[in-house]
Amino acid sequence: MNPNSVTGIVPALHRTPLFAAGDLIRVAARFPIGHYRVPNYVRGKMGTIEQVIEPRAVNNEEEGFGRNAGSSRHYYRIAIPLTSLWPDYAGPTQDGLRIEVFETWLEGA
Amino acid sequence: MHPHEHEHADQSQSGESPGYYEIMETAVRELLIERRLIDAGEIRRQIEVLDSRTPALGAKVVARAWVDPAFRGRLLADGRAACEELGISFYDDTRLIVLENTDAVHNLIVCTLCSCYPRPVLGLPPDWYKLKPYRARAVREPRAVLAEFGTVIPDNIEIRVSDSTAQVRYLVLPKRPEDTEALDETQLAALVTRDAMIGVVPVTL
Amino acid sequence: MTSTENLLKTLPNDIGGLSAERVERVEHQLKPWEKRCHALADVLDFHKIINTEEKRRGVEALGSELISKLTYYERWIAAFANILFQKQILTPEDLAQKMDEVATRDGALSQRASET
Repeated sequence: MNPNSVTGIVPALHRTPLFAAGDLIRVAARFPIGHYRVPNYVRGKMGTIEQVIEPRAVNNEEEGFGRNAGSSRHYYRIAIPLTSLWPDYAGPTQDGLRIEVFETWLEGA
Repeated sequence: MHPHEHEHADQSQSGESPGYYEIMETAVRELLIERRLIDAGEIRRQIEVLDSRTPALGAKVVARAWVDPAFRGRLLADGRAACEELGISFYDDTRLIVLENTDAVHNLIVCTLCSCYPRPVLGLPPDWYKLKPYRARAVREPRAVLAEFGTVIPDNIEIRVSDSTAQVRYLVLPKRPEDTEALDETQLAALVTRDAMIGVVPVTL
Repeated sequence: MTSTENLLKTLPNDIGGLSAERVERVEHQLKPWEKRCHALADVLDFHKIINTEEKRRGVEALGSELISKLTYYERWIAAFANILFQKQILTPEDLAQKMDEVATRDGALSQRASET
């Protein structure tokens, strides 16, 4: 990782958001067992980052098993058109979903 | 006074003996108190906290946003901080994003996975919000669901459904109805219903 | 994917997008025990004895049959009991004994109330 050209500072891993508002992303097509907070209906779907949620927070899927602190990363508010989620969506094409997703579930698209 | 006597007085007055799950709740609570993991005062206090949270709080926030554009700006930038300005403290670690309905966009909120809801500012959610029909269909066919509430949104208005899954909670800032210029903030707040702040109905005169 | 793999990979509460009936605008005033149960959840989360996400996972772990047959707060208290056992904060025996004690105590009170 290249040090910041102005300060020479290398930021620590996971502290800086991986994505920014406007970025195109895909929700991972993973299907873990146990506890999850990314509903099936958005898995593998493409969307846009609407907002980076601050501050960083604990992965809620680990929180469900008792992790109360540590390993914080960013959550993102994602926009996904309803026509991307439902092939037969009968409403206007601008209708959309907004959903909050943890950074480990997102891939650049 | 023995901590649980108050609850027993409620039961014998109603003539109903407690069911299995009520007995379980009482037993769990008393065991945790005996072990000094929680205390009875905290439970009593949290009941008071919950009783103090009603849709009237959200209505106050909405009315203030309607009359004060600077407040509205702060509310849309950081919902929780703006609520706290009005004395509406949060009792958990949730954030609040306020979703403004406009001539171009209509918002509604849902929690498909469970029952996330902006409780600190609206109180407890109605059963229908927590049951399968709303949770399953609000993200699939929002316009049909809205129609079941008597709300028809024209096709040229974009619908945004926000599904809560983590730390953020949502509150809809409904459109201010027409012909309300003469109303003061208190009168405006009286028009704002819980269901309008969920986004399933508009605010009407 | 086999059908059982699918079952394991799909939580019972993951219902966004499924077909369902009309929304019936039902609501009810919380019974006193339900409100106490909600207050208990908030206090447990404050102390991180059982955080809110652990509660959600605990409800999911009840499985579809219990989820469909228990009411909202019944699911919470059943989940709390299981989680407290798992964390070795209480044992099943502790809870069983205390529930017997509560039931007997309340039975006696109700009886006295109906006799007056």
